[in-house]
Amino acid sequence: MSPNFLTGDWLIYFLLIQKIFFILCSLFYFIFALIVVRQTLSMSKNIIDKFNPIIVIFSYIHLILAGFLILSTIAL
Amino acid sequence: MNRSKDLDTIAPDDLIVESNPESTPIIEEKTETELIPEIKNEPVIESEPKSSPKTPKKIVFPKKIYDILGHTKSPFSSFLVHPKVLTFPERDIDEEIYLALRPHWFTNFKWMVLATIMLLIPFLFKYLSFLNILPINYQFEITLFWFLLTFLYTFEKFLSWYFNVFIVTSQRVVDIDFHNMLNKHFGEADLDMIQDVSSSVKGIFGTFLNFGDVLIQTASEINQINFEKVPNPEKVIRLLRELREETEVKIEGGKK
Repeated sequence: MSPNFLTGDWLIYFLLIQKIFFILCSLFYFIFALIVVRQTLSMSKNIIDKFNPIIVIFSYIHLILAGFLILSTIAL
Repeated sequence: MNRSKDLDTIAPDDLIVESNPESTPIIEEKTETELIPEIKNEPVIESEPKSSPKTPKKIVFPKKIYDILGHTKSPFSSFLVHPKVLTFPERDIDEEIYLALRPHWFTNFKWMVLATIMLLIPFLFKYLSFLNILPINYQFEITLFWFLLTFLYTFEKFLSWYFNVFIVTSQRVVDIDFHNMLNKHFGEADLDMIQDVSSSVKGIFGTFLNFGDVLIQTASEINQINFEKVPNPEKVIRLLRELREETEVKIEGGKK
């Protein structure tokens, strides 16, 4: 075995495990981003302020980015 | 003999009276204009729109409150005197918000520093040897994930501050808390239920920047409400005492 074990088949296995790990993490992240949107909408109803729409927009941008993260992870 | 077909409304012993079309008084048929001449001639008065919680009645804000609290200069302030835009759905029509509080801005300092450090960490990735062995798209993925985590952390901390609001109205005190995205808390107590009010200012920064906790003991179901790390706690206490006294006077006046 070579000193650097991340060569050949080892590297392929390592990247595969890492990819699965990334996909799972990004899925959890997406679920959490959904919770953020839900909670932001809910709190915007509880406290009505003029900056609420901006915060809601930010939460949706975050959700879109979380969706993009899943797609990019799958495309790895 | 004709029998009534409406058996549900007539008892078996009732006399059945036949209606004679000739004996019934004839009502003169009038045209629409003859029937409602008054309505046609009078000017139309529009009924007042029903007031909703979002459009409360115009009430003159007491000068005394301004004397105690002063004026708010910025809408981003964590000490909002008589805010015009901030409201909450449970608010009554004639209820006026005197003061809306958020934790002092300095309470955000810690997470702001941490978020800045988190933002800078990806620039150190190239010095980490174990990342350099990965393909470039994996490195990009890790960097993207890290930035999103940083954004999430910052956004969560900001929302926890922004939606952590204490409100003093003409009728009650309201405490709305929002912690860690998953925990919400809504507490309120009527002004006449307030028994005791106390404040505590702790630490160097609390003393220097004048922020601290305001503890309100109440006789309602929620026996205490804690306004945490709010600016000018002594002003909040003065306001609450003033409002409590006013409420007591009103109640005593009502009894007499």
